[in-house]
Amino acid sequence: MSSEDAFWKTISDKLKRQKSVVEKAHERKLQEVDGSFFERFGSILHERSESEKKRDLQNHVRATKASVRFLPRAFLHQDYEDSQPPQEADSEPEPEIELNEEEIDNQIIITNVNKEFSSSADSEQDEKDDSHYYSGMNLDELYLEVLYQIHHNVGCDVTFELGETALLSYVQDAFKMSNEKHNQLLTAAQEREPPELLLNVEVIEAKDLIAKDSNGLSDPFVTLYLQSNSSRRYNSSVKMETLNPVWEEHFALPVMNESCDDILYIEVWDFDPAETMREKFGKILKVKGLRGATRLIKEMAITATMGQHENELIGIAKIPLKTIPSSGMLMWYSLDRKYKMARQGVIKLHLSFGSEKNCQVAAQEHRHLLNLLLLHELETSQIGPYEWDGKFGSQAEAIIMQHKIQSGLCPTEIDFVQWAAYTFVQKEHPLSFGLYLKLLTKISKHLCAPSRNEESVKIFWTFTKKLLPSCIGLIRKVRKRPHDKKTAEQIADVLNILLQLMCLQQPFDSDLFPTNLYPWLISYEEEKPRSISNVLNAAVVKGGKDWLQFILERTEKQDNSVDETLVYFHKVVQIVRSDLQRAVEYDKMFQRIMNLEYAKTLYNLYQLEISNLIEDELISICKSLKTFAYDWNCLSQSDSNDHMSLGTRLFELYLALQRFVCLGTTLSGDDDFRIRNCHTWFQGGVEQWLDIAVVRAMQRIEKAVELDDLSPIDESVKYSSSALDTLTIFHQIKIFWDQLNWPDIESSYSFVAKIIDDLCRCCLFYADKMATRVDGMGDITDNYERRFEVTKEWCLAINNIDYVCQSLKPFTEELQLNSLIQQLAEIRNPLEAERCNDTLQNVLENALDTIQNKIVELLETVAMKMSPAMKKLLIEGAEILHQDSNSIHRVMRYLDNNLATLYEELNEDNFNRILDIIWGNLGNILYDLIHSNIDKRRPPAFFSNLKATLQLMVKSFKHTDETTDSEVLAKIEWLLTVNGMETNELIHQVHIERWRDQLELKSSPYGELTVRLQFLNNDLKVEIINARNLIPMDSNGFCDSFVRVCLLPEEKFTNISKPRTQTHTKNLFPLYDETFTLNLTSGQRNLPDGLVVFCVKDRDFLGMSNQFIGEAFVHLKDIPDTTANIKTLSQVHLFLSRPSNLTTDCITALENRQGDKLAKEFLKRLKQKSSGSPIS
Amino acid sequence: MSGRVNMRPTNKNALLKVVILGDGGVGKSCLMNRFVSNHFDEHSFHTIGVEFLNKDIEIDNESYTLQIWDTAGQERFKTLRTPFYRGSDICMLTYAIDDKSSFRNMNMWKNEFLYYADIKENSSFPFIVVGNKSDVSIEEREVSQLELETWCNENGIASCIETSAKNASNVQEAFKMAVQHWLRAESRADRTECTYSDTVDLSKKQSDVRNSCCAGATDD
Ligand SMILES: Nc1nc2c(ncn2[C@@H]2O[C@H](COP(=O)(O)OP(=O)(O)O)[C@@H](O)[C@H]2O)c(=O)[nH]1
Ligand SMILES: [Mg+2]
Repeated sequence: MSSEDAFWKTISDKLKRQKSVVEKAHERKLQEVDGSFFERFGSILHERSESEKKRDLQNHVRATKASVRFLPRAFLHQDYEDSQPPQEADSEPEPEIELNEEEIDNQIIITNVNKEFSSSADSEQDEKDDSHYYSGMNLDELYLEVLYQIHHNVGCDVTFELGETALLSYVQDAFKMSNEKHNQLLTAAQEREPPELLLNVEVIEAKDLIAKDSNGLSDPFVTLYLQSNSSRRYNSSVKMETLNPVWEEHFALPVMNESCDDILYIEVWDFDPAETMREKFGKILKVKGLRGATRLIKEMAITATMGQHENELIGIAKIPLKTIPSSGMLMWYSLDRKYKMARQGVIKLHLSFGSEKNCQVAAQEHRHLLNLLLLHELETSQIGPYEWDGKFGSQAEAIIMQHKIQSGLCPTEIDFVQWAAYTFVQKEHPLSFGLYLKLLTKISKHLCAPSRNEESVKIFWTFTKKLLPSCIGLIRKVRKRPHDKKTAEQIADVLNILLQLMCLQQPFDSDLFPTNLYPWLISYEEEKPRSISNVLNAAVVKGGKDWLQFILERTEKQDNSVDETLVYFHKVVQIVRSDLQRAVEYDKMFQRIMNLEYAKTLYNLYQLEISNLIEDELISICKSLKTFAYDWNCLSQSDSNDHMSLGTRLFELYLALQRFVCLGTTLSGDDDFRIRNCHTWFQGGVEQWLDIAVVRAMQRIEKAVELDDLSPIDESVKYSSSALDTLTIFHQIKIFWDQLNWPDIESSYSFVAKIIDDLCRCCLFYADKMATRVDGMGDITDNYERRFEVTKEWCLAINNIDYVCQSLKPFTEELQLNSLIQQLAEIRNPLEAERCNDTLQNVLENALDTIQNKIVELLETVAMKMSPAMKKLLIEGAEILHQDSNSIHRVMRYLDNNLATLYEELNEDNFNRILDIIWGNLGNILYDLIHSNIDKRRPPAFFSNLKATLQLMVKSFKHTDETTDSEVLAKIEWLLTVNGMETNELIHQVHIERWRDQLELKSSPYGELTVRLQFLNNDLKVEIINARNLIPMDSNGFCDSFVRVCLLPEEKFTNISKPRTQTHTKNLFPLYDETFTLNLTSGQRNLPDGLVVFCVKDRDFLGMSNQFIGEAFVHLKDIPDTTANIKTLSQVHLFLSRPSNLTTDCITALENRQGDKLAKEFLKRLKQKSSGSPIS
Repeated sequence: MSGRVNMRPTNKNALLKVVILGDGGVGKSCLMNRFVSNHFDEHSFHTIGVEFLNKDIEIDNESYTLQIWDTAGQERFKTLRTPFYRGSDICMLTYAIDDKSSFRNMNMWKNEFLYYADIKENSSFPFIVVGNKSDVSIEEREVSQLELETWCNENGIASCIETSAKNASNVQEAFKMAVQHWLRAESRADRTECTYSDTVDLSKKQSDVRNSCCAGATDD
């Protein structure tokens, strides 16, 4: 393993070095072939996804930080200074990330989309509030009251500091009073005496009003006044489109003269039939800015007060004051109208007298005052929506304070009034949720107290209902808010508000979430009760759905092409993921405060929607990919960019979904969700991609080979650029595979098998291209000859292939086969996993074998190319050795040069391989030469010359390599030796072989001879003792044997007699017992291969044709040189033999010398001996 | 040339890629194992996707290396096996003679192969049909030899054989037959192409050298 690590390290080092050494131009040219196909799937995507991962991580860090930063403050109301200043947090070292262009594009898209979403008109109307509740109070009355209070201010320091005049001009502004009116009312206030008696009227509700509007409804409001003072009219709010309005509003009318004849007029009006209230309020919504809204409210109030409106009277109730008991009463009054007999409806009133202002009236007054001043405040201070946090300007503060004191409102009441006043404006002028939260925290205590006032509780919930839409709306439409800290704070506030509300006992009689305000709730969770937490959940879901809907509509495809569809899917997934990232930031708040798994809820929603959107279409796209698949037969064709980019798109989408799934796993843990199986949608696509990748790889290899200048990349290696380029492709495929991170093990296994098989194919392709590339190199044609010289390029080509081949195995290790097999063993069983492993190994081994063969093939090609020259030179050497010794040098030079190049350039393995091959070829050449020249009856000199040449060559080979296969060589050399011998030499060679054969014998059918031999100086003493078990030669079953002694080679011993023994008749165990002495010259005695031959023959009775029984040889070197008596020497037992093998090289050579009499004679005798026929 | 010593490190046979297709359970894996290692395992596992084995085979004194891809028949493995069809030299369609439906499915297998291997219509791709489990008793047999031959005729397939991986009958023959079939298809395809043998090539070059050498000599 470690060696493989090292191996890869070298490769990557080399890759790096190549990058730095060779200009990028090379790489660029290569990538141009297919538009960076592999990089797009490999390293580029890898980098991108890495950076996305980093970004996720970073976001996570940010989110954590953010929640740390936001939560305590929102939740525990810590001081802002206590939390970390955001600048500091941001400047913490964070990994630098370079966004690549596309990523930036994505970011921009997402931001833009959300921007658009923010500004998009709501598909559905905002929460409608039909109980729009601009209580048309008597503005003048309130103004008068305020002026009066300023004038009579009690013990408040502020008033003194600010000065009465300043306050007066402030209220004039706030109430938008004309100077004239102001002065008039101011005088009135100054003159005004505190009233002694007040008539407290609560307008509760009306029923069965007649319809005034075309829609069968009315927009009723109530005007009340005393007959004695009909100019001071009090108006209730307008209830829109109802015949059964509920007001529950309080009024305190001063009873000036205590005459009991006064009459209370209660008039119920239909508001402005020409322009319905809804239209009017519609106007308010359209009127931009606070000024417009205030003006409109004022207008409505004034017109109602002055009775100048074109409103239509519904009915009047006249109540004489004397009918009212001092204890007060609750009563239904019927509403009548002049000239009309029919009842116009009934109205329920609570009437009582009091000396002080009714506290409910005061509260209502205070509320109106707060509203007025608040609107003025908002208008003048230019505070943005959701920002006002309860702080009035000092004048307003002073006026409010005065009203509080002079109206005798207690702090609890004030809290409720504030709640009512603030929630009242929330719809049009949203205030800070933090403000509500603070207030709510206070009110909660009152609400939980046993002493709570049920009336206040009711009011509280009534107004809470006005706040809730805004709260729920924030959650639902959070995507329309900027993605910043502020929004997060608001969410935290809202969640805390909801939490507090949830802890309170909710009213049974009123629906907190009426359908008219929350129409979207209908389609959601119908069966579930509309509890705060359920509605919150529904809001989250609805918000997500709406947003996604918008995204899907907005992110439109340009056309219906597959490409566009994929881009569209990818975009959607990216955008949704970015939304989820934001959701993750808020998730902790939701979980902690409302125990809602916010991000998970959204994720489940999105994953389902995305699955619905993508699955079927994607599967069919992948299926249809086959039709785009490449035409395998035209590799060079390059117009296939369409499905190329298709592949890229698919893969990008896959990675995006993979990250999406990853996010889901973090959010949902082990829960099963549909998109988890999204990889199966791509299965067909991956196959196609792999197929396309092979084609691409081949194209690139082709280009790489073309661009290769066939010089080593650097001095340390023996391969050139295309080898590295090819490995780079493999590397990219590996990165692609890593990226794919295919979750299904069984198919992973198949894919890996295919990848390995494909890589093998690429290797082979590379080998072929490489071979073609160098083909023709080194072929030299000049005036004299055509020959082949081994070139560096050839060697590099071979090395390149070898290098690629050797990288294959470590490369497959990189594919993590081991862990794959292990996983297979886990999900299936070890045995099957083992079989799979075997298959993978087999595929690989097979690949390696095949490539190795390819290499050998190339080596053979080189060797083969060298053959003609070698053959030619060998022949020349053999034919003209004596005349021109230069020719041998030329053979040697040729071999030397080429072997030197091979040795220099090839790696060791391949050098040894080619050496073997050259030897093999040489063998073949020589065989051919020998045989064809034997046929041509070349003289022995030809062969011996050839042999001399060969020996020279051997020397030169040995020079470079010791392990040369010598068996072949020895054989060839022997053949040359044999054929190069003179005939007599050859004959003697036959004898020597006979002697050697005899030494091997363990027994003999012909019998055995016992002798003693001795050299005494140069005298050879031969004692023939006996023979045993001679083969019967005669018909009588016996032999008449004798032994003749000769010395060989014959021509060297012509002067020596050939003594023979007596004939011993009819005896298979003859006892010869004869001794001969042969006087040799010292030259003869020391002949290197001298032999003594004992020839045992059967004498025929005529003595004419003795029969050959057998012969035995003794080598002269084996005869002891001693002065001892021969009788004292040990006996030598010799097996008799006959020539049995007549096809030895020597005999064949002799047979080839047809015209040679000597040879002919010898062979004739040899055959006779062999067959045992009589010898003449 | 008889004395030539083979010094190559590996065999240099012609490589033939063989794919074995057929329903799950007809005995594809057993056939392959019988052929490659002459061994039969009654309780073999289901093949996952593909299996691969190498085996040399000698026909008319020529050696061939068969790269045998055994595939998984189940539908759920479909996407795992089809990538391996491309580049095949021989396709072995198998069924079990005691399973009629496996026989009927051969049409499907043939088409799947042609589609994914990108074989041109009506090209004479060397298919061979193998009816395995010929050892089963007469009563169990569901596909007759006649039916097999008829099907082959209708589909223009020239080679078919009944085998038994269990008792090793006809297994070697089946593969041999497949290669011979391939050879015939090849020779048909190559008929017009002229093939050079090394010796022809060499002697040509040699004579060239000699001629030019002589020319050089006269120039001198
Ligand atoms: N009788 C009989 N059974 C066989 C033969 N070949 C395979 N089988 C059995 O058929 C079953 C399926 O074999 P297998 O090779 O796994 O089928 P595959 O799914 O086509 O690879 C195994 O239980 C084998 O024992 C055969 O020639 N004769
Ligand atoms: Mg199987």
